[in-house]
Amino acid sequence: MGGIHFIINMAIGSLIYLGLTIFLAGFIHKVYNVYYKTPQPLKIPQTPQSTSLGGVILRMAGDVLFFRSLSKGTTLLFYTGWIFHVTFFLLLQRHLRYFITPVPSCVTFLNQAALFIGIVLLIALIILLVRRFIDERTRYITNLSDVFVLFLIMGIVVTGIMMRFEPFRPDIVDVKGFLSELMVPATAFGYMTLHPATAPSSLIFIFHLGLVAFLLMYFPFSKLMHSGGYFFSPTRNMINNPRDVRYVNPWDKG
Amino acid sequence: MTDEKAPATDANAIVQELIKYEKLPYEHVELTGEIKVPKIKPDAMIKVHAQQLTSKDTLERLGYPTKGLIPNWKEVFLKTMDKMLKKYKSVRLFMDICVRCGACTDKCHYFIGTGDPRNMPVARAELMRKVYRRYFTWPGKLFGSKMVDGWDLSIDVLALWYTYFYQCSECRRCAVFCPYGIDTAEITMAAREILNSVGLVQKYQHEIIDKAQVIGNNLGMQQNAVVNALEFVRDELREETGIEEIDIPIDIEGADVLFVTPSADFFASPHIESLYGYAKVFHQAGISWTMSTHASEGGNFGMFVHSYDHMKRINKRIWDAARALKVKRVIGGECGHMWRVLSSFSNTLWGPFDYLDSKYPRPQHICEFTLDLLNRGALKIDKTANAEFTATIHDSCQIARGMEMGGQKYGQFEIPRGVIKGVCEKFVDMPENTIKERTFCCGAGQGLLGDDMLPTRVKGAMPRMQAYSYVKKQNGVNFMALICAICKAQLSKMFPTYDIEMEEVGGIHQLVGRAIVLGAKEGI
Ligand code: SF4
Ligand code: SF4
Ligand code: SF4
Repeated sequence: MGGIHFIINMAIGSLIYLGLTIFLAGFIHKVYNVYYKTPQPLKIPQTPQSTSLGGVILRMAGDVLFFRSLSKGTTLLFYTGWIFHVTFFLLLQRHLRYFITPVPSCVTFLNQAALFIGIVLLIALIILLVRRFIDERTRYITNLSDVFVLFLIMGIVVTGIMMRFEPFRPDIVDVKGFLSELMVPATAFGYMTLHPATAPSSLIFIFHLGLVAFLLMYFPFSKLMHSGGYFFSPTRNMINNPRDVRYVNPWDKG
Repeated sequence: MTDEKAPATDANAIVQELIKYEKLPYEHVELTGEIKVPKIKPDAMIKVHAQQLTSKDTLERLGYPTKGLIPNWKEVFLKTMDKMLKKYKSVRLFMDICVRCGACTDKCHYFIGTGDPRNMPVARAELMRKVYRRYFTWPGKLFGSKMVDGWDLSIDVLALWYTYFYQCSECRRCAVFCPYGIDTAEITMAAREILNSVGLVQKYQHEIIDKAQVIGNNLGMQQNAVVNALEFVRDELREETGIEEIDIPIDIEGADVLFVTPSADFFASPHIESLYGYAKVFHQAGISWTMSTHASEGGNFGMFVHSYDHMKRINKRIWDAARALKVKRVIGGECGHMWRVLSSFSNTLWGPFDYLDSKYPRPQHICEFTLDLLNRGALKIDKTANAEFTATIHDSCQIARGMEMGGQKYGQFEIPRGVIKGVCEKFVDMPENTIKERTFCCGAGQGLLGDDMLPTRVKGAMPRMQAYSYVKKQNGVNFMALICAICKAQLSKMFPTYDIEMEEVGGIHQLVGRAIVLGAKEGI
């Protein structure tokens, strides 16, 4: 094995492990220690909040699945944002086919449409990016990190789409082999003794994977935490019944 | 940027110069009936600063520094901010999860009125987030402010905070449209408390927080003055109606109902008209009620800033009075933030209220009470008394976006409307995007009602005024019914400013009071 291959193998594998570790540790830490554990002294649910738990769950489901709150305000953002998230998840779940054998049918049913979905996702991303510069109010509030994360995801999507075409198409057997090797715990220890798994030789694939690893590392420190954070939002997850059921301030629980 | 090593006394002098109160001219906007989102005008409102509290005694009682900005302000600032982040899930979470999508940017009445980009809710919150990212996140701590779009603390940052966190009326409109329900009001409340801790204390709201705790009401009336005022109202009422038995009972032990309402209702116009209305309703319903000199204030300005103890102490008077007078129910009058504290927070602060009658909501809103009587036919109503009015309702933001009424999630819209329709033939709603959960604040809520804030009050009232002028032109609406003391004070001043008759604003119970036929009691 050549030196350069050894370095790539070492780098990409370690990056993936590192990314996954930081992502999981960071995500769980934030959600549990910060979002869950920080006390909420008073009930501050917001209209239209239900007076029953079921209603609250429905409302939150509406927010998560159909962006109900967002849909009240900004049409373009609502549609683009929703399409972005949906296509993103559709493509994400398609990746399960690299990890599960045999591939379940709920994963393969999109086979034909996958490329189309990828392109829609890319267009949505471009619209989201462009509106950050065109809409003067959004431009005013845009931070560097907002643009950065859009580019990062775009990079992942573009490399992903490229791999569907020659000459970038990596050897699927290699890819599957590599990924399933990574899933074996022993492989992780192999990296410590400088015995990395063999990555497929496609550069685009390495690039794709590298960006994903980077996104995973970046995730817990970024605004992407809205994914877990939403569920703890006190204006959305509290039941609107403070007169009937006493809400005890966690500060007073001692 | 200010020199880091400037002597501490200078820091105070510099910041005072930056946030000095100036009396600024204000002009109203042409009423076209349309609400247009303006182009951004950076720093349009940067000169509008709320007056500061300087009275040493008051500051001491409130537990805030007495000599302006304290020398070690940075340290205290970060300590208080840390406390806010650890004690309020809302604040902590909302710092983290905003994606700066921009959905809220055109939703704030202060932005729509002024065009100042820092009055866009997310930009307002970013004032805090920039400090948060620099001092409370790992990347900020490691790599400094540049890497995280953050700010190092400086006098300029302080001045911006003081300016723009006192241009937010904590109305929660932005949170309706935010995909994660980020409530800028929570952030503003925390920011105000942080400013307090370093010695930048706004006058209007904190003076009242002090008065409500020390004296017992926002107007600072001693107990005998309260009694005099209410007796005066009672005499007027008797004279007007010619009925000797009608009363405003005070401190009656064993009455069924303790009634609390903002002290402004005792004097101010048009507030007092609603007080007549309440008294007539109680009289006609034949329910024994009482007001209290101990709990002579329904409002609770402690809510406007995350100083939990102040809010808690102010709220205590009501529940002490309820126990002392051995009442069965507590009913709250027309007030937005008062109702939010009373209904949403009381039970947490001083509950459980198991000594009250469990047949009724604890506490109950006067509109719930009146509508129930109307529905049961317990009040004789003559709608022709309001024939001259085509009414509309301004959904007070704290009610509309807060607590349910009548146990249903939209009760806070339907119940007050039910009362109005029960006493007034003609009712028309303002355009859909300006009412109910999307209602626009009157422009002066949550501590911004002082005359020092007139420039923002006038501009912030613009969306509401446009919506009203729209139905005025389209449907001949000539009365805006309110259920909030601050809205009443603000809009009765804004109407004339926008060249509309002041008499076109008033409380819901003003309409009720006019339409009740007294004496013709048929029992319940
Ligand atoms: S709508 Fe919410 S997430 Fe979007 S910018 Fe405003 S506060 Fe942030
Ligand atoms: S709470 Fe109201 S006043 Fe404050 S930023 Fe949001 S919309 Fe504006
Ligand atoms: S005064 Fe009325 S509209 Fe204004 S903030 Fe209070 S409740 Fe809202």
